[in-house]
Amino acid sequence: MSSPSSQTDIAIRNLDALLEVATQIGAVIDLDELLELIVSKTTSVMDAERSSLFCYDPQTNELWSRVAEGLGSEELRFPAEQGIAGETLTTRKIINIPNAYEDARFNPSFDKATGFKTRSVLSVPLITAGGNVVGVVQVLNKSNGEPFGPDDEKLLMALGTQAAVAIQRSQLVQVQLEQQKTHEALRLAAEIQMNMLPRNDEAFLKQKRLEVASYLKPAKEVGGDFYDYFLVDENHLAVVMGDVSDKGIPAALFMAITKTLIKSVARNGLKPDQVLRQVNDDLLLQSDSGMFVTIFLGIIDISSGEVAYANGGHGSPYQVTPSGDVVKFQPVPGIALGVTDAIEFGAGMTHLATGNYLVTYTDGVNEAMDEDGAEYGYGRLEELLNQKFDSSTLVIEAILDDVDAFVQKAPQSDDLTVLVYRHL
Amino acid sequence: MTDFPYELSDSVLMVTLDGRLDTNTSPQLEKFLAEKLETGQVKGLVIDFEPTEYISSAGLRILLMAAKKMKSSGGKLILCALSDHVQEVFDIAGFTPVFNIEATRDLAVVAAQN
Repeated sequence: MSSPSSQTDIAIRNLDALLEVATQIGAVIDLDELLELIVSKTTSVMDAERSSLFCYDPQTNELWSRVAEGLGSEELRFPAEQGIAGETLTTRKIINIPNAYEDARFNPSFDKATGFKTRSVLSVPLITAGGNVVGVVQVLNKSNGEPFGPDDEKLLMALGTQAAVAIQRSQLVQVQLEQQKTHEALRLAAEIQMNMLPRNDEAFLKQKRLEVASYLKPAKEVGGDFYDYFLVDENHLAVVMGDVSDKGIPAALFMAITKTLIKSVARNGLKPDQVLRQVNDDLLLQSDSGMFVTIFLGIIDISSGEVAYANGGHGSPYQVTPSGDVVKFQPVPGIALGVTDAIEFGAGMTHLATGNYLVTYTDGVNEAMDEDGAEYGYGRLEELLNQKFDSSTLVIEAILDDVDAFVQKAPQSDDLTVLVYRHL
Repeated sequence: MTDFPYELSDSVLMVTLDGRLDTNTSPQLEKFLAEKLETGQVKGLVIDFEPTEYISSAGLRILLMAAKKMKSSGGKLILCALSDHVQEVFDIAGFTPVFNIEATRDLAVVAAQN
């Protein structure tokens, strides 16, 4: 038996040690680093020969350890009910074994593998303040050769509580970091996607005496809508408006392929219906994701205003005269690209007189929804377009303002894209 | 629309789409159909659009995949009872000729059994 004064000494020494450990493990966020620190501190504070720490994985119902001293850095995994650690975890109770080789629960295989000779074992559950068991810590062989006593049990329990809180915090931080990484990847994808769209390149447009304005607002970070405009040759401007089924990264990749194919095929001098046919066949070679894309493609003769067009299942654009007359492009046969092969697309033709606008859009406009689930609709869009506009940019602004006024506080449910060309 | 009411009789699976089939609900339908078709017991699939309010292109994609799956296993997908509004979405995307569409559920079941 210890004398009262030496008991007090021990208590004070333990308290000091605990405080020190608490301070140290409180400063570590990285889980591996933390586990290592807990193990080494436990060994020294407990005045033991070795310690092991097992974390509980609720998803697989296993205990795992990367830091059992003397075992190297190999990860060890076993069912959460197994052995002394398993029993500590499931019963949430301390197990104090004075002589390991006389206890049936003890598994001597680690001793055999490492050459270590276990005499006594003290095993404690790691329980957080909120009552969650996050693992088990074990100390082996008290340095003075005696079994672990009640003071040791108390001390290891106290250490265990500190460790449990630190481990839980570290795990929460890791989950948060993972989420941040995913979020960052999506943000980057969205940025790459936005950079694939032509900018409103004033110098290019001015030099070619062209007036084009565009706007795209994805509903999720990475959307499925896209548009493009580019010169096929000196006298022909291609205008593309597309909507990939679905959103997110797969849709963005499909969009990138489609956009690239259209541009390269259109520059071979093919007519819009031939371009869509070829791009459709190429897309069908790509994958079996069931993904498809609706596309309007117009090729404008910039001197005459003639527009040759084809439509792969996309909403028909509008032609708006300077006085505000609104005419929908005559529908032509076609189907979304990527659905089925050997499709014939219809060839459409119309004429834009000087000052006429070509207004293309995606269904994010006509299907914009208010809080009651009512749709913006083609009717309201046509009514809005029925006015005098001074520029393509003002047409887009008017559409966006009107859609905003319609949906009010309802969340944006689909990507919304508008591209307007004015024939000068 | 997290729950899809369905019936399975004589190897024909009848699924009713209630509410909106959009970007948010399409993945649920995709998973639901994948699970049901995986069993190999479904020779005919009928999708009833009678109570469907809205379908987006994400929804069309699921239907397209279901049609491909049914075709590859020698089965049939029949759609039925499309409202004017849903029909318009099919028309604009050019999908109407791609799918087997029947006016009523009864006609669809007969078509699926043949």
